[in-house]
Amino acid sequence: MSAPGIPLKESTIPASAASDVEQVERALIDASTRVPVLMFYASAIIWLLIGTVMAAFVSFKLHAPDWLSDIGPLTWGRMRPAHMNVMVYGWASMAAMGTGIWIMARLCRTTLRHPLLLVAGGGFWNLGVLLGVSGILLGESTGYQWLEFPPYAAVVLFLAYLLIMSWAVLMFRFRYGEQIYITQWYLLGAFLWFPWLYAAAQLMLFVVPVQGVLQAAVTCWYANNLLFLWLGAIALGIAYYMIPKVIGRPVYSYHLAAIGFWTFALFSSWTGMQRLVDGPFPAWMITASIAAMILTIIPVATVGLNHHMTMQGYFPLMRYSPTLRFTVFGAMSYTVFSVVGVMISLRSVARYVDFSQASIAYSHLGLYAFVTMTLFGSMYYIVPRLVGREWRYASLIKLHFWGSAYGIGLMTLMLLAGGLAQGINQDTPSLPFVESVQTIEPYLRGRSLSGILLTFAHFIFAFHFGLMLLGLGRASTVPTFLNPVETEGSETHL
Amino acid sequence: MKGLVPLLLGIFGTFAFSWAGLILIPNMQIGQLTPQSDEEGSDIYPMPRSGMVERGRHVYAANGCAYCHSVWIRPEYAANDLERDRDYAAKVPWGVRRSAPRDYIFDRPVLLGKERMGPDLANMGKAAPSEEEPAPGASQTPAPSPAKLGQQPYTAAWHHRHLYSPRSFNIDSNMPAYRFLYQRRPVGSERSADALELTGGDAPPAGWEIVPTFDAQCLVAYLMSLDQSHPLSEVKSGAPAAAPAGSPAAPGGSPAAPAGSPAAPAGSPAAPAGWPAAPGASPKSSPPAKK
Repeated sequence: MSAPGIPLKESTIPASAASDVEQVERALIDASTRVPVLMFYASAIIWLLIGTVMAAFVSFKLHAPDWLSDIGPLTWGRMRPAHMNVMVYGWASMAAMGTGIWIMARLCRTTLRHPLLLVAGGGFWNLGVLLGVSGILLGESTGYQWLEFPPYAAVVLFLAYLLIMSWAVLMFRFRYGEQIYITQWYLLGAFLWFPWLYAAAQLMLFVVPVQGVLQAAVTCWYANNLLFLWLGAIALGIAYYMIPKVIGRPVYSYHLAAIGFWTFALFSSWTGMQRLVDGPFPAWMITASIAAMILTIIPVATVGLNHHMTMQGYFPLMRYSPTLRFTVFGAMSYTVFSVVGVMISLRSVARYVDFSQASIAYSHLGLYAFVTMTLFGSMYYIVPRLVGREWRYASLIKLHFWGSAYGIGLMTLMLLAGGLAQGINQDTPSLPFVESVQTIEPYLRGRSLSGILLTFAHFIFAFHFGLMLLGLGRASTVPTFLNPVETEGSETHL
Repeated sequence: MKGLVPLLLGIFGTFAFSWAGLILIPNMQIGQLTPQSDEEGSDIYPMPRSGMVERGRHVYAANGCAYCHSVWIRPEYAANDLERDRDYAAKVPWGVRRSAPRDYIFDRPVLLGKERMGPDLANMGKAAPSEEEPAPGASQTPAPSPAKLGQQPYTAAWHHRHLYSPRSFNIDSNMPAYRFLYQRRPVGSERSADALELTGGDAPPAGWEIVPTFDAQCLVAYLMSLDQSHPLSEVKSGAPAAAPAGSPAAPGGSPAAPAGSPAAPAGSPAAPAGWPAAPGASPKSSPPAKK
């Protein structure tokens, strides 16, 4: 297998040491992670397809409400939470765990011990998601956003997670070398934050429930931190790994990376309540979250600056490397996501967009443009190293990228513009309420169009991944480039 | 970057800080609220709900109503929620005051909702004007759509028909029909009392009738129990200034409910504190309720 990897810490490892010993070490690590990581990826992609089909229901039913509405499990109000939970727990979490485990093993320079137990953990996680989604479709949703899974499914999910997480943390325990790279910070943080978060939310909602509106506060706190501290942290960690790795250059500044990490952990964990602005809560909670939201500009700026300076002069490589193209798209989307988040949380704007579809645009910017695109990038890097084959068709990768990029771009534009128009009409009492529904309808049709693009992209990706799993990739020592490499120099870096 | 212990401490610390700040302290502040009552200990608000209403809440949650309907009213300085009318023609407002934490102390799960593809439902159960108090504006404006039924708006029958066929009231509505909560069966010896009054394409063939399942009845009971019109001491009640005589809108710690009809059963659509429904009266111009 060709692993033309570039040593991440060039300063500590002499160039000549990136030699046979390292190659063998990497090959051993990859061999030990092969089965579990591929299993996580395969499950994640199946969930992605299921979630995409559900998204089609959700999107089309909004402007064609009578379509397939007589069947309980297919009603809009059950499809929508099913779609969200499949995407969050089935797709994004599983793909993030797969990538997280692989990167952790590589960075800790240790093989994965007892990989089959990890496979069992992944199996239980799948079971938990399956139970939860079936529960939602059969009308057992709990009604708490992002925590709709019935409690029995949540228990399975949590136990499966403990099994999975202990492996990642154990690898960290057995790491080789003193250095802890910034990606490991993010991964370790995410792997520890998620169980605390999940357990805290479950305890406060189902075991010793808090009173009244505080349940809504717990839900908002949980959903927001799930997006930032779990999926977002892993995606940021991936970006810090993939960008330097692909272009063969160390991260521009470790100092900035440290500032970015701590401000990210501190400020983004305080956001969330801005979604309930002027609701039945003490006003200081909302204000604190809005302030924290504005302060998240600091980690966004430092992380963005760091990536930008690392990439400086290497941007043309995005023409060739699928990993770099997806990852940089994700990293840039993180900035867009945060800026949109700040704008719609300001009170003067929130007044209009708070109850509109603009919030859907925001969550898709985070979950798709930022997290999912970064995960795609990592999969394009990791899968060839696990199956020992290169991606078969550059054209399919390009179709996937442009389908996803145009799809999410169109969706964001439609929902932001439509949401603003809808929200302004909602806040104009002289107009009948139904006017605001009428306003958004053409935009919702546009959103359905973007959904078709995304569906197309996802099925192409799944097909390509299936080819790789079946061993039908290219047997080659050179990775698949998106475009024929014109310059000699770049080849050594990709 | 070295030093595992500071890293782990920091990871735990940031999490604990956010949990303490956004969950623990608010829980100390508003986590142990009790219902309010007047000096004699009567007129208690809010009250725990009946079994059917509680079951209806779960039907509401399970079918995702909360993804389109919010159940909270923002204050008048923040948005125009209080000036919006539920029924544009009949001038039935969305609410008379903002929502407060105390409104929700018995709610589990609490279903605030964060989107409004449909109208807010915080006072849905209150939206039926009582019969003896026709809205003054009703004569000048076109008949409200529910009046097509020839009955009081927002009754249980209205809700059932709306859930079964939302577009029979408003062709522009994009609410899904909840027909799977209804049962189609042959008419027995006589037509059931709760059979839906349907017309046009929705009507069942002769000899058949559409009746609500128990879940549908619970859901409607829940919808009709939604009512935040009771004054709360901590919130300014924006009752319209030009309230009709005998209206309960008079501000004060002792609202008119006990004086009007103390025996009103919970969940009754014709509860005593009917909407004053004065057209043109802005909630902003009303005097604040005193403590």
